[in-house]
Amino acid sequence: MDLYETHGGRMKSIAMNLLGSRADAEDAVQEAFLKVHRGAAQFRGGASLSTWAYRILVNTCYDMMRRGRRRPENPMPAEELLPRGGERDHPLRLSLERALVRLDPRERAAFLLCEVEGFTHREAGEILAVNENTSRTLLFRARRRLQQELRAGGAFLPAEAS
Amino acid sequence: MKASCRDLEKALAGGDPSLTAAFEIHAASCAPCGRELEEWRQISEAAPALRRAWDSPELLPRIRQAAAEESQRAHADESAPERGPSGWRWVPAASIAALFVIATAGLWVFRNSGGRDPLASQWRTTKDPLLTERAIDDVETAEKAYLASIEKLSLLAEPKLAGAKTPILVNYREKLEVLDSAIAELKASIDQNRWNTHLRRELLAVYQEKQRTLQSLMKEVKS
Repeated sequence: MDLYETHGGRMKSIAMNLLGSRADAEDAVQEAFLKVHRGAAQFRGGASLSTWAYRILVNTCYDMMRRGRRRPENPMPAEELLPRGGERDHPLRLSLERALVRLDPRERAAFLLCEVEGFTHREAGEILAVNENTSRTLLFRARRRLQQELRAGGAFLPAEAS
Repeated sequence: MKASCRDLEKALAGGDPSLTAAFEIHAASCAPCGRELEEWRQISEAAPALRRAWDSPELLPRIRQAAAEESQRAHADESAPERGPSGWRWVPAASIAALFVIATAGLWVFRNSGGRDPLASQWRTTKDPLLTERAIDDVETAEKAYLASIEKLSLLAEPKLAGAKTPILVNYREKLEVLDSAIAELKASIDQNRWNTHLRRELLAVYQEKQRTLQSLMKEVKS
């Protein structure tokens, strides 16, 4: 379970941001790891195993969203909103969190992978089963929509204060 | 390179670093572009704060246990008396035959429906947006015949998927699992409301996807 040690935390974070609850995120990660386990013995291609695992995770999350485990419209409980320990919180975080809910799932996934988790467009493209340019387009659209939502909510900070 | 307000979208898309750099210079002296750039910067800066981290000491043991249970089940299946290889020699030929029969039947039904979706036409016959009892029966009869052909194909594919040895076959298996779960969900919803045409259309779309997936799987196996 080296894969879990290395990527489990990041996978939980992605699932949490897609599904909106810890319990659902953990279920999604478990399901993804079981699917990886079922196919891992036959898997060939070493370096891309993690990408493959992320891809399975994102598809599992989509499936759970579609089956009705929808992300809550209301903000999540405070204890679930805490960012990773030691990192400085950002004044836009809560507004961004709320705006993210309104994105199309693929745009949301592209934003989470590239902007939140730091994947390259190439990696995000492999995870989302699209090419690099499509990943770039999805991220562009996601940012545009987020910008519109945040602007409508008056959430942006004055330039000198940010 | 010199950028202007017209380069805003391209610069924000970020595909060309030299354009982005030139646009930043332009934005420094253009208030509307400066504002756009600043807002995008704020979104990017805030994004990492959305990372989540929490301890879940029970998760890894849970995954290990579930994986171990699966392995045991798989091992038990392997230990069970195997079917003689000769018993399965008919499978590739039968797969091709089934594909041919389904394709021919599909073509015949499609032609006779004047190019319309054969199943969709069944529920379009009612003027009422809610299906009548008779229309429902017609839809379900047509549906059953269609599903039976897919299920036959599914049975043929099953042994190939059970012994999936390549990532691509594993992917097919996963996709079919997802489709089957969607079918089960939709069927359960339809049981609650037999008159919901939207759900029936959705179910038809999932079945069509399953048929396409099975057909490409059989092609993959053959090649």
